[in-house]
Amino acid sequence: MDFSFTDEQQMLRDSVGKFLEKSYDFDTRQELVRSDAPWSAEAWQQFAEFGLLALPFSEDQGGLGGSISDCVAFAELFGKHLVVEPYVASILLGGTALAVSANESAQQWLEKVQSGEAIAGFAFEEGRGTPALDQTRMVATPADGSFTLTGEKRTVMAGAEADILVVVARKGETGEPALFVVEQGSDGFAARSFTTIDGRSAANIMFEAVPALEITDDRELIERILNHAIIVHCAEAVGAMSALLSTTGEYAMTRKQFGVPIGSFQAVAHRLADMKIAYTKARSTLIYTTALVESGAASSRDIAILKGQTGKLGQAIGEAAIQTHGGVGMTDELNVSHYHKRLLALDAQFGAHGFHLRMVGQG
Amino acid sequence: MNIDFAPELEAFRAEVADFFASAPTPAIREAGRKTTSVFAPFKECMEWHRILFEKGWIAPHWPAEHGGTGWSVEQRFIFAEEYRKADLPPLLPQSLGMVGPLLIDIGTQAQKDRYLPDILNGNDFWAQGYSEPGSGSDLASLSCRAEPDGDDYVINGSKIWTTYAHHANRMFMLVRTSKEGKKQQGITFLLLDRMDYPGMDVRPIVGLDGFPEQCEVFFDNVRVPQSGRVGEENDGWSVAKHLLKHERGGGNAASPTLTRYCQRAREAAAETRSPFGGMLADDPVFQQEMGELEADIATLGHFEKLAISGHEIARDPAFPSMNKTMNSELVQRASTVMMQVSGVDGLARQLEALRVGSNVEPLGSEFDLISMPLYLNSRATTIYAGSNEVQRDLIARTAVGS
Ligand SMILES: Cc1cc2nc3c(=O)[nH]c(=O)nc-3n(C[C@H](O)[C@H](O)[C@H](O)COP(=O)(O)OP(=O)(O)OC[C@H]3O[C@@H](n4cnc5c(N)ncnc54)[C@H](O)[C@@H]3O)c2cc1C
Repeated sequence: MDFSFTDEQQMLRDSVGKFLEKSYDFDTRQELVRSDAPWSAEAWQQFAEFGLLALPFSEDQGGLGGSISDCVAFAELFGKHLVVEPYVASILLGGTALAVSANESAQQWLEKVQSGEAIAGFAFEEGRGTPALDQTRMVATPADGSFTLTGEKRTVMAGAEADILVVVARKGETGEPALFVVEQGSDGFAARSFTTIDGRSAANIMFEAVPALEITDDRELIERILNHAIIVHCAEAVGAMSALLSTTGEYAMTRKQFGVPIGSFQAVAHRLADMKIAYTKARSTLIYTTALVESGAASSRDIAILKGQTGKLGQAIGEAAIQTHGGVGMTDELNVSHYHKRLLALDAQFGAHGFHLRMVGQG
Repeated sequence: MNIDFAPELEAFRAEVADFFASAPTPAIREAGRKTTSVFAPFKECMEWHRILFEKGWIAPHWPAEHGGTGWSVEQRFIFAEEYRKADLPPLLPQSLGMVGPLLIDIGTQAQKDRYLPDILNGNDFWAQGYSEPGSGSDLASLSCRAEPDGDDYVINGSKIWTTYAHHANRMFMLVRTSKEGKKQQGITFLLLDRMDYPGMDVRPIVGLDGFPEQCEVFFDNVRVPQSGRVGEENDGWSVAKHLLKHERGGGNAASPTLTRYCQRAREAAAETRSPFGGMLADDPVFQQEMGELEADIATLGHFEKLAISGHEIARDPAFPSMNKTMNSELVQRASTVMMQVSGVDGLARQLEALRVGSNVEPLGSEFDLISMPLYLNSRATTIYAGSNEVQRDLIARTAVGS
């Protein structure tokens, strides 16, 4: 057993880390979030140059044949820098879904997605009460050998910008969930875009008989795509947790009240200890689950444990960080609240911790 | 023991409910629904303040001779309950709940005459200038300096987290007038009758929900009259301690607000599917969570009613700290449930839709519009008015060896 990153993964981490330190500091990130741009085209281009956009795709599809642990290795850094670019959406969800399609136009889109020329989206969420594949309510109606989609998708990352969208819908009212592909701007497609609390561009999308091509209804395949994405998504959360732990630890050492650092008060010190325990738990589960997935041994319960734990522990770390910072923790200016909001958003997507932990409890 | 549920109380309840159904303007109602922190949107809140003043209901907790209503404990509680049911903007605490009662207790006649009428009628809004960048929990270490000079004080330094200072026309503050002796001994309590003195600069701070609520206030040789002092020079700490009784003292019942949050969560849950079948409101796990929360809120309500009736439980020296701790943590729990019911639908940042009068439709329901900002802003409740860590230290001191 060896759960450490390989030398290659470490090198990738170092170079991505250096780039983010230099070009994605918090102030630059905040300027980006406040601007009209949904994300940084330059950063996306840079990710392409690092090979991140082609990483998870097989070599015969023009990719680099990377593994899930390769993605985890740098995704922690994405969390640490509060990256707003739609990596999980465009590459791990939209992209890998296109990759299973034999359709020629899907393959052409995939090429552009890997080079960074095009963005793919993944329309999965349907709002409150629909946290998982089984709760999908959108219906795909058969029409002349293909399908039309009707219904609404919510909080679709890059939903208004994506050139091509993969949509999860049921084949008929009682059918199984399947993946469909839709082009941006198709008839009957109306996206209302917004910025999320953690600075990402998202959209609620109304579909009114939008023509769609089926990609697959292979349950195992769809779950695999989702599970891989969830792992990378959780890696971002763990990266955000690590940033909160170190920022808060430093603050507790330097902020003085009653003539001493607040970290010397037992109430504060114990909270920091709890934050550290929480982070260690989350990261252990992340690394172990990544290895399980890589060995092909991960069950859906393992993924639920990871998603449930990172969501719950992340919220706790965020709340503890704000409390420890006192008044400054409540400001928009300091990065602390932004990490917390990222953690809340990551928790809410793909089913919040309450849902996943209950799935675990169901055995 | 006696719980007086006199029939006239029901008539009183109906009278209050009728008034709340008819008196608020649409903008005031919108502000009430869009209140996502303890501080309601300022403009509409003050409009509503003036309407309540006209009605004679602005200060139920004040002594009747100073403009209070002379209501019984039960009436005050009924008023608070109906207030929350109607989703009206909560009144701002700084003037009515803090400096007003303080002046009634220990202000000079001249100060009472000058300030109380405008607090009641809503012409004035007072900001609370206590905290400083270096002095939060350790408030007594404050260093914003006031030097006596003729009939004036000359102030230098800064205050921070001053809520709504950018809307205020007056401010009460603590300043350092002496560095001799214990740090508590050299503090003076001052009333500033203006916010636009030469050398004063108010800069809003954007909060984590994206709106400015607190401010930083800078003083550069600001000259203010000494007649604004409350109590003696260097005795401001005891004045502030006196005011604290009103600030934390539970003069206003909090449990009706919490009950309203729970109602909203239940209403939203009734129209949300549970992933485990049926509607979320019928889901046993949700029900248990609500049950634990609502039982604690009910208990807080019992505690509050005992307290406002003058029961000995409220004469416990730890009463204000226990009240503050229970209330703040329940606000956080209730808003967390709301945020969790919204799930992904709470993730949109909707500053424009939240602004009263913007006429911008929220993306989803109004519940989803407010649940996240309410959760985020509620993180402050365990920080301000004495952090809960500091409160627990105080409570522990009264519990150990008692
Ligand atoms: C929304 C909001 C509104 C506010 N409005 C006003 C206002 O109108 N006027 C005003 O004057 N102030 C206001 N404040 C300021 C508020 O009173 C202070 O934030 C509070 O006193 C805490 O001080 P601090 O922020 O400097 O945190 P610090 O005192 O630096 O505390 C940081 C952390 O250390 C902990 N800590 C500190 N001392 C101890 C100890 N002895 N033992 C254990 N733990 C400790 C705290 O609990 C906290 O978790 C407001 C604050 C907020 C968030």
